[in-house]
Amino acid sequence: MAILHIDNLTKNYKSVKALDRVSFTVPAKTVFGILGPNGSGKTTLLGIVMDVIKASAGTYTWAGNEGSANDFRKKIGTLLETPNFYHYLTAEKNLQIAAKIKGRGEADIEKVLKIVNLYERKDSKFNTFSLGMKQRLAIASALLGDPDILVFDEPTNGLDPAGIAEIRELIKELYKGGKTIIMASHILDEVEKVCTHVAIIQKGILKTVGSVADLMNTSAVNADVNCLIELSAADNATLKNILQQLEGIASITEVDSDLHIACNDKITGETLNRFCFDKGITLNKLHVKRKTLETRFLEITGKQSDK
Amino acid sequence: MIKLLKIEWLKIKSYTGFILLSSFFALGVVTSNYIVFMFKKNVLDKVKASELLFSGSPFDFDMVWKTVSYYSSYFLMLPALLLVILMSNEFSYKTHRQNIIDGWSRFEFLKVKLALALVFALASTLVVIMTALVFGATSGSPFSVNGFENIGYFLLKAVTYNMIAILISLLTKKSGVAIALFFIYTIFENGVSLLLFFLAVKLKKDNHLDLGNLGNYLPMNASDGLLTSPFEQFSGMARNIIPADNNKLVLACALIYIVIFYFWSKRKMMRSDL
Repeated sequence: MAILHIDNLTKNYKSVKALDRVSFTVPAKTVFGILGPNGSGKTTLLGIVMDVIKASAGTYTWAGNEGSANDFRKKIGTLLETPNFYHYLTAEKNLQIAAKIKGRGEADIEKVLKIVNLYERKDSKFNTFSLGMKQRLAIASALLGDPDILVFDEPTNGLDPAGIAEIRELIKELYKGGKTIIMASHILDEVEKVCTHVAIIQKGILKTVGSVADLMNTSAVNADVNCLIELSAADNATLKNILQQLEGIASITEVDSDLHIACNDKITGETLNRFCFDKGITLNKLHVKRKTLETRFLEITGKQSDK
Repeated sequence: MIKLLKIEWLKIKSYTGFILLSSFFALGVVTSNYIVFMFKKNVLDKVKASELLFSGSPFDFDMVWKTVSYYSSYFLMLPALLLVILMSNEFSYKTHRQNIIDGWSRFEFLKVKLALALVFALASTLVVIMTALVFGATSGSPFSVNGFENIGYFLLKAVTYNMIAILISLLTKKSGVAIALFFIYTIFENGVSLLLFFLAVKLKKDNHLDLGNLGNYLPMNASDGLLTSPFEQFSGMARNIIPADNNKLVLACALIYIVIFYFWSKRKMMRSDL
């Protein structure tokens, strides 16, 4: 069963096309990652399906309910962009407001505050919280009423490493408990670690969508692409030209002072080093990585960022 | 609606701005009327000539409804200012988005703010009624509801100010800008109103065309114009040169403006990105 069906969603901000005919379906009981660089349209997409942003064109359907069914939104736990709470109210009072709007009882406020380790601070005002605590309170609010669908936009924003690990574990537990989680992130590692499905968006255009397993095993450019190699030389421009002569390379991307190449596993560190040396280039960095979502992402998006 | 208002009450009951501005309003209403009361008693009543201008006290029934409504209405900026702050805080802290994400419809969010505007207006009116009853009782005159329509005009003015506050907050979405715009608009409208008043006087004098006080047809002044000073006998002396009071037309304008503010606010809330 599809939890969310998006059909040709488009959003224009004057001359900027934030979303361009994006269509996909989120299957039930999955962790569905929406992956894309900063400014790619992830938050805009989630804002539209939560009815805080108006689409220029296209439609969306939540579990078969046409349009923005408010009652259905009450059954979704959502953290969108930043934690939004009344700064002069305590954590507990803020959650009381959220619970009342959702039409849920206040019984599980204590439970959700304990899940995110904020129970001890329940009587502290929101404006005394650190960024990480605000983020955890927003996650607690999303968990109110034990919703079957959760929407998280950059859920680990502002969290320390331990907090990030906790939230990842929480998402995995929620998934195991049969929940559907839609999660937008620009952190490839995060998506790879917790998502079962992924949609990659770049400059408002849906580049690919599918299960993470399928995505890792399929390449639009070359089915054998399974390696990411980071390398650099004194003259990266010449290095890039030379590498283009080498067979088996799917893409070459400039990232800071390095070149990242997506290639098949026939290209080893040794063959690459020898090839460059024979062409008169001495490498000053060579780092071979196994195929990751990052390899695939760079292969699909190709560029450094969407600035 | 009661359910929505209960949630709104959770939001505002601990807000310092709400407590302060509400207290200032109540205090302002009581003290301003007390000052006028004491001025009349200790200053005007001791001047023999004043008997020519006033028969009885402005705090006697029936006049007390008019007097208290008129002086209290100067403090209606406070609940309106409170609404601007409450509304634009929602936009600044993006809590309006969260309310909608959590399950309110856009219209429910607006509806509860409009209901709050009405509740503020009713509460302000209740303060005025109680103040008028106390001053009326103190004056020793027999109770009367004649002139109670002035309380209605006060309520209308309160609703108008609050509706303008909501509309400005929706249009600007920023606390500072909304507050500044609210005051700038008030000053601007009063300036334009004065110019229109002079135009109306000129039309009456030069062309014998009495269109009423044109300034009273503007949004804020339409509801202001219905509340007149209890000492209007002063202006009565110049009645032959100032335009007539077209109260029915001014009342109609005030009601039409409220309807316009409602639909404008609704359109803005329903159509824009939040």
